[in-house]
Amino acid sequence: MKVNKKTSQENILIVGFPSNGLIGTFTISYLIHALDMKQIGELDHPDLPPTLFVEDGEILAPIRIYKRNNIFAIISDLPFDPYLAYDFAGLTLEYCKTSMIKKIIIVSGMETINKDSNAPKIYGLVTHQSLEETLYTNQISKFLAGSIFGTDAAIISVFRKSKTPTLILYAECHPFFPDPEASIVSITTLAKILNIKIDTTDIQKKMEYLRIQRRNLMDETIRTLQQQKIENKPRVPQIYH
Amino acid sequence: MTENKQKEFEIRIIPSSISSLFTDDVEHQTLSPLSCLIEYGTYWLLEFDLPLVNKKDIKITSDENSISVEAKLKETYFEEKFGRKAEFEYFKKSISLPGKIDSKRITAKFEKGRLEIIIPKTTSSNKITIN
Repeated sequence: MKVNKKTSQENILIVGFPSNGLIGTFTISYLIHALDMKQIGELDHPDLPPTLFVEDGEILAPIRIYKRNNIFAIISDLPFDPYLAYDFAGLTLEYCKTSMIKKIIIVSGMETINKDSNAPKIYGLVTHQSLEETLYTNQISKFLAGSIFGTDAAIISVFRKSKTPTLILYAECHPFFPDPEASIVSITTLAKILNIKIDTTDIQKKMEYLRIQRRNLMDETIRTLQQQKIENKPRVPQIYH
Repeated sequence: MTENKQKEFEIRIIPSSISSLFTDDVEHQTLSPLSCLIEYGTYWLLEFDLPLVNKKDIKITSDENSISVEAKLKETYFEEKFGRKAEFEYFKKSISLPGKIDSKRITAKFEKGRLEIIIPKTTSSNKITIN
């Protein structure tokens, strides 16, 4: 895995990759859109499925780095297994060092099938005590007890050993279906932490389309996550079709 | 990514997975919806994600072995398939049911584009003596 970096600098990195409800994907891609962030590089790994995207004639890698002022973003359009996740986290940290990033925020989804659909909640988990205050000042409930496995666990376990403090935002969501509605909660929370204003009208208008458009990615993500569950430990018997 | 702030929010659509190429029916303009089946103590919960659908346009049928759901989309949905723009008008999927279910007591609820079907388990059992 290597970093193809065009520029470097600044201090906050937001990270999103396909997981429960595609929360990270929706949230980070919307932030990139809303802040009009520019792509400054990409992450590459020989074990990633050979996938490229073409946009306006430009070839794009599935894991890309964006920047606007002091905010950096890394987004993956492909789900990855825990082994790739370790490499992804290691490389992200390497990038943080070279770009003098002082804080990392990861956005993900928390499996909650029977959530109160009118008010999805958001929880925070921090790797360093210095970020406890961020939770408190932004009124984010602390993730107090539970288990994290697979890709999320792999990434968090790498970050918690590093010197760069990391905050993980978990939005309650449906684990098996794309959940742009729950993503709105993480978008507004993230905006609050970053002290920026984000209008979510655009994503609200397109929620139903996003659910259909992203069903293939959700399908791929579920297969990856289910595989991780089988490899780690059998849990509640959930059957995904 | 984009230069234009006025541009509407678009996220990149991952190329159709191999499985979706077989499950979606381009000829009959039918998409295969996402679904999941979860076991609870006394029932199974079968869920379908049906965005762009009105409750009145959903048809659920069942027999002893399966449940089928068909739904008409509120508007035509376009997607790239095999390098061509395909039109879709419907969702359709059949799910095989686990055994020992009480098919007469199946109930369904549709909210925010998600169809939830509760499938109670049968409760007949044999008493086992502890020696």
